[in-house]
Order: sequence, then structure tokens, then C-alpha cells
Amino acid sequence: MLEVIKPGPLSSVQDLGRRGMRHLGVSQAGALDPLALRLANALLANHENTAAIEITIGLCEFIFHAPANFVIAGADLNACLNDTDIYPCWRYSAKAGDRLSFKQSRDGVRAYLLVEGGFLNIDQQLGSYSTDLMAGFGGLHGRALKVGDKLYYQQAQAKPALGALQPSYEKLIHFTPGPHAQLVSPHVFDILNQTIWKVHPNSNRMGIRLSSHKALTHNHSIATQAVHPGVIQLPPSGEPIILMNDCQTTGGYPIIGVITEADMRHLSQLSAGDCLHLKSTSTTHTAKQRHRVKSHLNQLKLALNKKE
Amino acid sequence: MTNVSCYLLGERAIVIDVACHIATQPKLNQKLFALKKWLDSSDAFIDVVPAMSSITAYLINPEKIKQWQQVIVEKWNDLEMDSFESKLHHISVNYGGEFGQDFGDVANRLALTHEQLIRLHTSVDYQVQFMGFLPGFAYLSGLPAQLHLPRKSTPITHVPKGSIAIADSYTAVYPCGSPGGWHLLGQTDSTLFDAESESVCLLQPGDTVRFVEKSC
Repeated sequence: MLEVIKPGPLSSVQDLGRRGMRHLGVSQAGALDPLALRLANALLANHENTAAIEITIGLCEFIFHAPANFVIAGADLNACLNDTDIYPCWRYSAKAGDRLSFKQSRDGVRAYLLVEGGFLNIDQQLGSYSTDLMAGFGGLHGRALKVGDKLYYQQAQAKPALGALQPSYEKLIHFTPGPHAQLVSPHVFDILNQTIWKVHPNSNRMGIRLSSHKALTHNHSIATQAVHPGVIQLPPSGEPIILMNDCQTTGGYPIIGVITEADMRHLSQLSAGDCLHLKSTSTTHTAKQRHRVKSHLNQLKLALNKKE
Repeated sequence: MTNVSCYLLGERAIVIDVACHIATQPKLNQKLFALKKWLDSSDAFIDVVPAMSSITAYLINPEKIKQWQQVIVEKWNDLEMDSFESKLHHISVNYGGEFGQDFGDVANRLALTHEQLIRLHTSVDYQVQFMGFLPGFAYLSGLPAQLHLPRKSTPITHVPKGSIAIADSYTAVYPCGSPGGWHLLGQTDSTLFDAESESVCLLQPGDTVRFVEKSC
């Protein structure tokens, strides 16, 4: 059993998210950094959709009450197992009584803690173990983790250390053009491409707000239409919002772009005040990006199969 | 392709939008629901999400997006206007008093007696135009024009579960307690959304809803 000693600012159970429920107004939820989740699951020989604890910023602490093999993936939040440093995307083993603590980092905000075999006492609802924090279902009792929470797992024999390469996180983020850009201004794409954007403190799992740009203020609204993670909405204030996994399913702000699926993981690691660049791209490039991610995962799985 | 625009939104979403024509051709709405039904049955999509005057289809395999865009346009041109049949739900409502805190105020603002307000609200069949805002929150279209009121300028922090409300040209039922800016007319005991039950969501996009006054 894993006991939560300190949950930090926000820790919640997340898998790859809910699929096929948007037409009922149900958000996707799920890990903001799905590649980190997949890499960690590959290292533990779990199903790729096995749920993790998504840790935000760090400043949290857990105790293993039974032997476990575990992986932390995503940002390096300066974790320690007792007094030993723990690095992202390596498989470690813990003994009963071992204490896992996270400090924080300048270079990322989200890390994923997984155990071999996954956690057992979490709720699958509407096809996913992810916590829907707004609607209050899934994960552990439909809420963020609290002090004293207990997550059960099958205890495991210690396995040797094993690591995987985790592609680096970038601040250059690609998007494909959105349908309502021309409604706002003929220069929207130039502005998006040329501005150094700053992440607003009021950003969370629902959306990342960017600094405002005078030339993007407007007074247009659109007929409410379906939106999804990655969509860049432009409210009249001229502050673009990039929707993230917990976003609502429909929206009435003009859509000026959509972040590429492969680059969403970079956004998951940005914190308030961080700068980023946006770059418009083509569908050919997005297809290449998707293939690169896929082959990275496939190569890892092949290598692991040979090794174990 | 005279009355629709069909475009890509990101890598796997295809939007079919009739916003420019819905006012003059209200039947296009039924055609959108017929198209949704057809897309759902193809098994090529993760989800097909209706909205105010569009549907957005999310492909399982993004590599085939260009082909599907073409297929959808062709299918749209072949579809009959009246090819959609809708499921009917009766929802019983306690109007006014402790059940709908804005009932008296709305009647005053619209210069209606309490009976007239109830009669108007129960006089039509509404259609689930789309879901959003909260899991199971259905935007019901067809609200009589006499009942159109803008949203409250300041939302209240707690709308009770099951509240029947109106705002702009829509009426809705709050599936759970939440903040909200709509005008509350009454309340129902019906469960609209339950993530743990097998049916999950009482109303589905395209369904028809008739409100019935609960006799005390």
C-alpha cells in the first residue's frame, strides 16, 4: 500500500483519459503528459493505460508499505527515495517503509508516479480511471489526493534498475491554423508566430492562459461549437487560452488554432511566468510528429522485450 | 455543398457547420442529427459531438482525415432532411416557490401570470440541441420567444440539482449542484446524470423533452 503523507498542491489519479463521452458533456481528463505515462508503463510492463498519480509542482511525500517496483516519469521534480536521488524514467524498487519525497524544479511541473501492476482501489467510471476533478468522479473517490489516502497495489519482487530515454521538453510549440482567425484579424497567425508568450498564473488542468496582445482584442463570438484539448480560444480580452484535458466540451470563443497532439506534452510542463513560442505548421508536419512519438515508444518496447 | 461548411479542426476533428443557414432552414438541424447517427454507426470515430449549429466528429485514425472529410460532404448531400427520429422523454416539474427561486421574478419581468408562465414552458416539445458546461447538462432548444431572457449578470454560487432553468433561447435541467447564471423556474426529481449507473445520461443529443407540471 502507498500512503499519502503530503499531497502537494495537486495530486490526482490519471490514466490516458475518457474517450467517447464528449457528446454527453463529459470532459476527457487524463494525464496532461501522456507520453510520460506511456513510457513509465512500458518500463513496468504495465498496460499503457494503467493509471498513475499525476503530481503537480512537487512538495509531496509518500510511504511504500509493501515492496514495489516503481517509475517516476515526466518532469524531474527532484525526488528522493529516503536519501537517494531518483531520476525520471528509471525503474526503481522500494522496500516496505521507504519514503518517497518530491521537492520542486524550475524545469517542469508535472510528474507521474506509477507502480508495477497499477493501483487497485481506484474507480473506473465511463471507461477511465482518470479523476474528473470538476464533476467529482473517477480516480480515488473522484477527488484530488489528501493526507492519509491509501492506494493499494500488488507487492512485487525487486527488479533491477532499468531506464528509458525521455524526449526533452521544448518551449517551441506547433499549432495548425484555426477556423475563426480571419474573423479577428488578418494578422492573427503572424502575431501568434512572432510573439514571446508568457504563461498566466491563472492556468490549470482546464486551460493555459497566455499573456494578452493588444492587436488580438475583439468583440466577436461564434455559435457554440465542440472544443477539445489543444484548441486555442481567443476571448475578447486578447488573451489566448489553450484548452487542456479538463476543459469543457463546447465553447463560444473564436478558435484561432489547435496545438499539435505531439506538442501537448510540452505545455503540460509549463508553469506561471514561463515563456513559449508558437509556430504554425502543416498537416504533413503533424503526421511526422505523431509517427516520431509512436516509433520512439515502439523502439523502447522492442528493446525492453529483448532485455527481459 | 450549398448549405454547409466542412473543415478540419486540428489533426482528428472534422466540423460540419450550418451556422450561416440555420435561421432560414431550421430543418438543417434534423439533418445534422441524422448525419451524427450515420457517423456514430461507422465506428470510425471516437465521438461525434453536436453543438449549437454544428457537429464535430473525432476520428480514431487521423491518417484518414482527408478521405473522411470528402465522404462526409458526399453523405451530407445525399441525406434526406427528415431522416431523423427522436426519442421522447417526459420530465415532471415542481414550479415556483422553494423549487424555483426565480419563478416569481421571471413572471414579473415577462408580465405573465404564474399559470401563463407554466403553460408556456410546458407548451412545447424541446429538443436536446447539445450537451456541455457540465456532464449531462442538455441545452434544450425550442423555448417560446416570450420566455427569452438574457442570463443573469452575476451567476449564483449554488444552483440545486434538478433545477429547471431558462436563459436566452434555451431551457435546461441542472444535472448536479453547480454555480449557474440561468433563471430557475422549478425542479425535477428525475436523475439526469449518474456516472455510476448503467444508463449514465438520461438525455442524448437529438432527444425530445416535454415538461409536465407535477400536481401537488
